[in-house]
Amino acid sequence: MGKFVPTPSCTVGPFFPAHYFGPNDNDLTVTSNAAGASSKRAQGTKIYIAGTIYEADRVPRWNSIVEFWQADASGHFAHPNDPESSKADPDFMGWGRRASEDDGYYDFITVKPGGYKDPLTGLVRAPHINVSIMGSGLMRRLVTTFFFPDEPANAGDPVFNAIPDAKVRERIILKPAKFPRAPADALCYRLDIVLQGEDETPFFLD
Amino acid sequence: MDKLPNRFAPYDDRTQPAFKVEGYKETITRVPMQGFYKRPATLTEVTGPLNLARKLDADLSDLSRAKGGGRDGKDGARAMGQLIFVTGRLLDEDGSPVRNSIIEVWHANSAGRYIHKMDAGSPFPEDPNFFGSGRCLTDHEGRYQYISIKPGAYPVPNHPQRWWRPPHIHLSIFGSGFMSRLVTQMFFPGDPLNAQDRILNSVPDPKGRERMISRPIPMMELPRADVVGFAHDIVVRGSRATPMGI
Ligand SMILES: [Fe+2]
Repeated sequence: MGKFVPTPSCTVGPFFPAHYFGPNDNDLTVTSNAAGASSKRAQGTKIYIAGTIYEADRVPRWNSIVEFWQADASGHFAHPNDPESSKADPDFMGWGRRASEDDGYYDFITVKPGGYKDPLTGLVRAPHINVSIMGSGLMRRLVTTFFFPDEPANAGDPVFNAIPDAKVRERIILKPAKFPRAPADALCYRLDIVLQGEDETPFFLD
Repeated sequence: MDKLPNRFAPYDDRTQPAFKVEGYKETITRVPMQGFYKRPATLTEVTGPLNLARKLDADLSDLSRAKGGGRDGKDGARAMGQLIFVTGRLLDEDGSPVRNSIIEVWHANSAGRYIHKMDAGSPFPEDPNFFGSGRCLTDHEGRYQYISIKPGAYPVPNHPQRWWRPPHIHLSIFGSGFMSRLVTQMFFPGDPLNAQDRILNSVPDPKGRERMISRPIPMMELPRADVVGFAHDIVVRGSRATPMGI
């Protein structure tokens, strides 16, 4: 533990500026919001992830701020804590942001992340996406992780298995789906996020 | 490249806000009931986007002037209100500077109104010269600065137990990785409304609450004579592992 204490978190409130969202903030396959910017796209399989965010009693929760953070298609991060950061895709930032719409809908375009042998734990991480959710009524952010269906590596993943109940784990596995708004060349998955309820999404201690 | 934090212990609940805040009804229906799962930190947790300025415009550090819809604060008409200058350092738990990190800054205008569809029912006037949001980037010392106008207080709407939110500035900070992400609010020293704000006072530790309140900067230490200055250092989570044997 360091000697400086982190500043307290505080709710993002209801007034997170709409102007903060660029047109490509929820498209992780491009690294710019500028019109006419380089058309270079991230390497890998293009995917579309969408769903609905609910609060208690299955009421759709709009105006939630959702952020993605993930490895590139080969399982690397452009960050000095990754010993193989030099192999990271220069056309992939790994980060995206989106506010849920009036009916609770959120969506992201990205590439399927690669798994990796984790240098910190020595364990194999299955392909996954770290997700933060912020919003009015949330004094701290909520964090969860999305996993992919039919991934043999899920069985050994240390974060997936931090949730002992298989029924609960199932709630963070992406489900193959179809969406009218998805790009034609993307593989599509659905995952609803339930902030509170019987079928609540499992969130991790932050 | 710098050695960046790679250790991230869970937050200490005493120094962080409670999830449920009395009288703040949104905390009742949006907070998970089933507890939080403890998981190990792996590479995805200890890394994060370091080059966000590729995608987000980080050069928006004068919120006091509107030009071209307010995205460029270099000239244009000035917003109503007391001009303020806010500066401080962004540090990690080792006290090391967090460099080149985006800080997003947004707040109400001097009458206590936001530019947001959620604030359409506000009884307070809009200010055509106040855009309400900006961004800045920390430098090599972790220092950031921005110019704005002092926000007004506003009542929390539609709550059975109403209260005034004291003047405050919202901050969204990325730090060096996923576990350093921080969204917080900065308050002003000596404001009588601070004592009754349910949000500020949801942090149990009084020292924790003090970490959200800025300090006045003596006038002679300010870079210009037309601003009231406030200093506010911010600490994000993250430290470096102590080498073995020490
Ligand atoms: Fe506010």
